Formats: sequence, C-alpha cells, structure tokens
Amino acid sequence: MTTNTAVTEGLPYQRSLTAFARQSTLEAGRLLRRWRRDPIVAVQALLFPTFLLVIYKLLIGKAVLAVTGSDSLYGLVPMCAVVGAIFGTLGAGLALPAERESGLLTRLWVQPIHRASSLTGRLLAEAVRTAGSAVVLTAFGVALGLRFADGWAAALPFVLVPVMISVGVATAVIAIAVRADGRAMVTWLGAGCVALLFFNTGVAPAEVFPSWLQPAVRLQPMSPTIEAMRGLAEGRPVLWPLLQAGIWAVGLVAVFAPAAVRGYRTAAETGCR
Amino acid sequence: MSALTALTLRTMSGTLRDADLLFAVLAPVGCFLGFTLALGNLIDTGRMTYPQYVLPVVLVQAMLFGAMTTADRAARDRLSGFGVRLRTLPIPVVTPLAARMLYCLIRAVVALVAGTAVASMFGFRMAGGLGYAVLFVTIVLAFAMAVCLGADALGSRIGSVESSSQLLLIPQLVLVLLSTGIAPAESFPAWLGPFVRYQPVSQVTETLRGLASGHFTGVGLAVTAAWCIALLALFGCLALRMQRRMR
Repeated sequence: MTTNTAVTEGLPYQRSLTAFARQSTLEAGRLLRRWRRDPIVAVQALLFPTFLLVIYKLLIGKAVLAVTGSDSLYGLVPMCAVVGAIFGTLGAGLALPAERESGLLTRLWVQPIHRASSLTGRLLAEAVRTAGSAVVLTAFGVALGLRFADGWAAALPFVLVPVMISVGVATAVIAIAVRADGRAMVTWLGAGCVALLFFNTGVAPAEVFPSWLQPAVRLQPMSPTIEAMRGLAEGRPVLWPLLQAGIWAVGLVAVFAPAAVRGYRTAAETGCR
Repeated sequence: MSALTALTLRTMSGTLRDADLLFAVLAPVGCFLGFTLALGNLIDTGRMTYPQYVLPVVLVQAMLFGAMTTADRAARDRLSGFGVRLRTLPIPVVTPLAARMLYCLIRAVVALVAGTAVASMFGFRMAGGLGYAVLFVTIVLAFAMAVCLGADALGSRIGSVESSSQLLLIPQLVLVLLSTGIAPAESFPAWLGPFVRYQPVSQVTETLRGLASGHFTGVGLAVTAAWCIALLALFGCLALRMQRRMR
C-alpha cells in the first residue's frame, strides 16, 4: 500500500493491476450481496422474467408453433434472459442514487483504491448477475422443453451471450443514474425499455409485425442477442447476430463510458447531501 | 376550499411533477400499440378485429397500473408523517383516503379516454350506442375504484414505498396475460382453461367487449357486476380499516 500509493488532488489512490483486480472483485461482491436483499433488483432480474417466460409460453405457445413450426421457447428463453439483464440493470440503477445520497459512493471514493475499480466492479457485478439469472432461466426453459441441438456444450455460450448487452446497457444506466436527476431519468428509461419488450424477435418472428416496423424490430438492441441465443440452441450459425450484438454492446459502452466515468467521479466527490 | 378539494389538488400537483398523469396516458397507448402490433397477427380472434378484441384488457391493465401507483402514494402518505399530521386536523378521518380515490377516478378517466382514442384510430368502435357506452364506462370506472381501494389498503399496510408497487407487479401480470383479454381461451393449454375463463379480469373484459360490440349476456353482466361490487365492498372495508388502524 505504501510503496504503490500515489497522491494527487489530495486523495491517495493505487495504480497496480493486482489492486485493480482485487478491488473490482470486492466492489462486485459488495453489490451482489446488496442486490440479493434488494426487492426491486430481485423482482426485476429474476422473478419478473421467470413469470414472463412461463406466462408467454402459455399465452402464445400454440400460436407460435402454428405460425413458425418451431417451439416458442427458443425465442422466449433468450428474450427473458435479456429482459432480466436489462430490467435488473435498471433496478440496480434505481439503487444508485440512494448510495450517492447516503454518502456511500463518497466514502468508498476517499479510500486509497484504484480509481477505475468502482466502475469495473459495478460492471462485473452486472455481468455476474446477468449470467446468474440466465442460468436460472435456461434451467426453467430446459424444464419446459428447451433442448440444445448441438449438445450441452452450447449451453455455456448460451448463458454468456446476454452478458454482452448487459454490460452495454449497464454503462448507459450508470451514466444516467449518477446524474443529479438520476432516479426520475432511470424510471423514464424503464418505461422506454417496456417498448423493447414488445417489439423484439423473441415473442414473435419479425415477419408478423407490420412491414414498416420490421427493420426496427430486427435492429433493436435485444433482437440480435435473442437471435444469437436462438441460433446456439438450435445449432444454426450465429456469427452474424453475435456480431450485431457485439456492435450494440461496444457502441453503448463507447458512447456512455466517458459520461459514466465523469458522472461517477462528480457524484462521488459532491454526492453526500 | 374543502379539505377534500385541497387534498385532491395536492395529489394532482404531485402526480403532475412525478409524471404519473402522463404515465396514465402513455400506459394504455403503449400497451395497446404493443399488443396490437406484436401479437395482432399471431392471435386468432375469429371474426372480430384484434383492436376491437384487445382494448378492454388494455383499459383493465391501465386501471391496474393506476392501482400500483396508488399503493405507492398511500405508503408515502403513511410513512412521510403527513398522514399523522392530517389526523391532527379537524377533518374526517376518511378525507385523505377519499382524496386519493378521487384522484384515482380522475386518473382512470384520463386513461380511459387515452386508450379509447388510440384504439379508435385502429378501428375500435362502440357499436352498441349510447346506453352500452355508458355501461362500458361505468364498469371500467367501478373496476378501477375497486382495485385502487385494494391497493390503497395494501400500501397503507405495507409501510415501504418501493416494495408495495413491486408486490403488485406479478399478480397484475398474471391476471392480465393469463386472461381471455389478450387471446381466446382456446389459445391456452387445456388445463389452464378454467382459470383463464373464470378469473375476474377475463369476466370483466368479456363483458366490456360484448358491450362495445353491442351484444352481451345477462349472466356475463351479472357476474361482472358481482365481481365489481364484491371487490368494491371488500377492498373498501379494508381501506377504511387501514385509515382507522393507527389513530
């Protein structure tokens, strides 16, 4: 600690990569333990998508089978995994203003930590939470009849694909939630995401939407992830949807990361009221 | 200005700020567009067009959303100490509850108008004439009042602002999506049929749909009226009891 601690702007911080890795994991662990007890995150990341999966399967299962000839589970399980990722992130985003107002962000910021570890820790926690709820949802899907055509090896990438979009969305949510009006903005973002819930290729194939809406349905951030997961389960080529999902994730991170870094710093340095 | 008016205006100015009134407009419009555009071509509703079929459940869902935000407001009034402060004033104990319910009624009318307006653009018609339309509106508003009273009682009881509306999210979702409001009972697996047919949202939406297209059965109307009156009585008593509890 003493040898590797630099002092600028009056606050000591660390630069070593080991400190960065250790502190990111610590922050991620703290968040995960916190989220486990937060009813909003628990409901939105796990309970809500699980119910959505079961209910949608009951509601449109027959109709999708009649229209497309394939089981609706192959679209619904991916969709619900992505829904869990996005809405869990939003729930976590709602908790961020409280951490800022209680002074917790500031308290952690004045520790001699690696400066990037707060943000990377948060993203790491989001990634772990997303993969976790994807595992639960996939298990539910398997119980309902989902099968991997190319064997169980595809199950691992299957639960890891939603992590990409989750990290992208989490960066955007952090950038928005750390603003002074964060709570209201995240609520509005949530309302916007409900629209994505209807207009994606998981519930119904793109062809059943009105033709003017189809490009939007195919290109919106959830759909490529859903298609990649569907491809993995059905044993079809996944390179193109995976690439699209990657572009969405990288794009979201690239656009929102600077604002997230700056906003987090401002929130931590001025946050406590 | 009477206490009721003052407290209702207070609630309204609060919901203009936190955009609940805007949400009252956007929720039915968004849900209607979502259901119609995403599921319209997928679900077979026979001779009836999908907008005509789905609007009743969109309205019912908007009323349930309204109930969720009511739960939050009741919890906030209880927790903020404002409720305690009101109890020291020389006004009837039920006035704060009545003011919240009056706001719910206004919100329900707003949502009803917004939902019906957007559905008319997609071809929804009140085919039955004025009498049917009045009955349609009465049922929607009675249902809204019933669920709002229930949510108010829950919000007053639960004592946590954020968890009360979250608690209502899942039951709301189950009742709306597993009903004949979105798809006819034949679309569901056979074992689920009885629940889908006889749960309150299905009964209410079926009656509303009948009224909108100008024909209904006396039995259906009686069942819907019974549901609305029973829920109003039950939740009304509960909500009143909650007001008394901490005196």
